[in-house]
Amino acid sequence: MIKVSVNGEIKEIKEGLNVHQLIEALEYKTKGFAVAINTTFVSIKTYETTIINDGDSIEILAPVQGG
Amino acid sequence: MKNEELKINSDEWEIGGKTLKSRLLIGSALYPSPANMEDAIKESKAQIVTVALRRQAAGENAGGNFWNIIKALNIHVLPNTAGCHSAKEAITTAQMAREVFDTNWIKLEVIGDQYNLQPDPFETVKAAETLIKEGFEVFPYTTDDLVVAKRLADVGCKIIMPWGSMIGSGKGLMNPDNLLAIRKQFPELKLIVDAGIGKPSHATQAMELGYDGVLLNSAIALAQDPVKMAQAFRYAVEAGRFGYESGTMQERAFASPSTPTVGTPFWHQFS
Repeated sequence: MIKVSVNGEIKEIKEGLNVHQLIEALEYKTKGFAVAINTTFVSIKTYETTIINDGDSIEILAPVQGG
Repeated sequence: MKNEELKINSDEWEIGGKTLKSRLLIGSALYPSPANMEDAIKESKAQIVTVALRRQAAGENAGGNFWNIIKALNIHVLPNTAGCHSAKEAITTAQMAREVFDTNWIKLEVIGDQYNLQPDPFETVKAAETLIKEGFEVFPYTTDDLVVAKRLADVGCKIIMPWGSMIGSGKGLMNPDNLLAIRKQFPELKLIVDAGIGKPSHATQAMELGYDGVLLNSAIALAQDPVKMAQAFRYAVEAGRFGYESGTMQERAFASPSTPTVGTPFWHQFS
């Protein structure tokens, strides 16, 4: 197991997961969000090939009201 | 200007590759309810609405009800980078927004001071340069500083959005002379007054300066009746634009009667 931060919360996840597997493991059920790891954008096209590492800081953002 | 030209200019304009009728850009935050937001946006007749990205909790529908309402309005979405304090943060947020909202438009906000939410001109220019190279249509939020506007234009911005005053302050146009200087210096750019608008008359004043549009949120959302205020701003923006296109009279330092003086029965001359 490795420790990562997801939207500011520390979580323990299996080692070697890619972004797609992480999203499934965290039970994000619908599309319509975007992902960044360590403040770098991760395109949906690269979810399968981007591996989560110990200590990564992951942000999962979705639409909200804005001015 | 011929009447026909005037009509075309009043009816339609172009920004970011889109042809629009409304010159009012509206925010989607701070309304009393989602239904009220929807009604206010509809009543404003705005064709561009600003949105944002924030952390999504697991198990929830991404964007939830809010995003479904916005999509159903079938108007252009302008995502912002609100809350970013560096070029790096803003660039990443813009890239995420492009994927989520399926648009290359980005309202670039890089805040330099947390107290008055003044944009950081150095980081804003740096982010704008990168984003333009990546194919974004950048709508940069900036101060009313002419040199910053010049730097933004130098890196390829075709749109510049100087503030009227501090975000959410409702103080109106702090420095109309500065805004006018930017307008005169950059006749080819699309200029939008963004932030600080509090009353419909502020929007009219911005449009009378020759600005192409006005972006506001709090002034409508925090009104006692946001839907009615949305209508007020629609008319205010139109009035200001029409006034600008009509060409205002020259200000005079002396009084000049509008009623003919010839034939006036000056009774007092005979007393």
